[in-house]
Amino acid sequence: MSVPALKVPLLIIGALVIQASLLADLRLFDVSAELMMLLPICAGVLAGPDRGAIVGFASGIALDLLLSTPFGMSALAYTLVGYFAGLVQGTILRAAWWIPVLTAAGASAAGVVVYALVASGVGQSGLINGRLWTIVGVVALFNGVLSAAVLPLVRWALAGGPAPRAFAT
Amino acid sequence: MALSRRTGRSRFTLILLVLTSITVITLDFRGAGGGVFEDVRERALDLFAPVTDAADSVFDPVGEAWNGVFKYGDLEEENARLKEQLAELQGDRASIEETEQALEELLDQSSLSYARDVPQVSATVISSPLSNFELSFEIDKGRDAGIKEGMTVVAGRGLVGRVVRVSDGRSVVELLTDRDFAVGVRLATSGEVGIAAGGGRDQPMRLSGIDPGVDIRRRELVTTSGLPQSAFPPRIPVGRIEEAVSERGELEQEVLLAPLVDVDQLRFVKVLLWEAPS
Repeated sequence: MSVPALKVPLLIIGALVIQASLLADLRLFDVSAELMMLLPICAGVLAGPDRGAIVGFASGIALDLLLSTPFGMSALAYTLVGYFAGLVQGTILRAAWWIPVLTAAGASAAGVVVYALVASGVGQSGLINGRLWTIVGVVALFNGVLSAAVLPLVRWALAGGPAPRAFAT
Repeated sequence: MALSRRTGRSRFTLILLVLTSITVITLDFRGAGGGVFEDVRERALDLFAPVTDAADSVFDPVGEAWNGVFKYGDLEEENARLKEQLAELQGDRASIEETEQALEELLDQSSLSYARDVPQVSATVISSPLSNFELSFEIDKGRDAGIKEGMTVVAGRGLVGRVVRVSDGRSVVELLTDRDFAVGVRLATSGEVGIAAGGGRDQPMRLSGIDPGVDIRRRELVTTSGLPQSAFPPRIPVGRIEEAVSERGELEQEVLLAPLVDVDQLRFVKVLLWEAPS
């Protein structure tokens, strides 16, 4: 079994514990960070859309275990978010240190909208309203700040597998 | 060539995972495998409980420092509101000892004026919502305490929500502010019945099914209806009428209801061990 196959689940479980115990209580305008969404975004930024989608699926399934929303909904949303984060980053040929952080913030903002659209698609009502934009802004802010710490962790978790595309520092 | 192979593999991975997710969602909706996903979720809830409890004990100081910085104003307002409420209840100036005793009684969740004959389980709220789109919280009691899915959750002032998931030692409560929440209610003055649905965080509930000819007073109390087949016990306070608009030609009034319980400030709740008659 490859090393990422061991480290990535470990990272996802650790992130879920931190999301549930610490981040759920750190709120701005009643909005908390979305660490489980940030993982596939960072995986996509560092290693391309393939890894982004796979990490997104796994982190979404892990989160769905503790939510009351339809099982698989977060997996679907985060798969898409991780994939497209990997595609966007792939268009940047030279990356300064702040580009992945900015990408993480922007991708998180888009990811919240994707999540709301997916949720509406599976029958969750009333998520697309004025408050959505507050959630978009605060999650982008939180996740942008957190990405500075999460990117090295995801890089560590993915190390040892097939060589990722070298387009991010 | 290599690039197009990589792109093709990425798309294949995406399609495979998307189809898998959709399949899982569909199976969950249909309750496939005798609710295997619900069983998995219950096991996960119990498995994570000690881990998150341990993590909570480590991270609580961080959360409290954060709330101290960002919620100081809210705490001041809540403190002022409680003091004003105490003064109204007492009606006259009282000694410091009487003030402290009245505060303890006000905050004591054990003396509910409704549901006296319904067995109850006290519980502590142990987690905030895990998702920004879900209005729910977790309590520290579960199946071991006799709690079952669908049971009503209340606090001192009235309805809080209902249990949507139960494991051996934990339960997840859907709040009455959640947009998927609905409860049959009755107006205290006229006795008219309707359906109150959650309006979202910090939003009033929407009351539907009220005839345009019914006289509704502002701040009128609304309780659970207790009709046959109702999922909630009768006469539990839900909220007070905030606004009622009757437009000419409309089939029902547009009524907004302010929940009595501030679900964002709860620490202790009670679960009513009451099941709807089948």
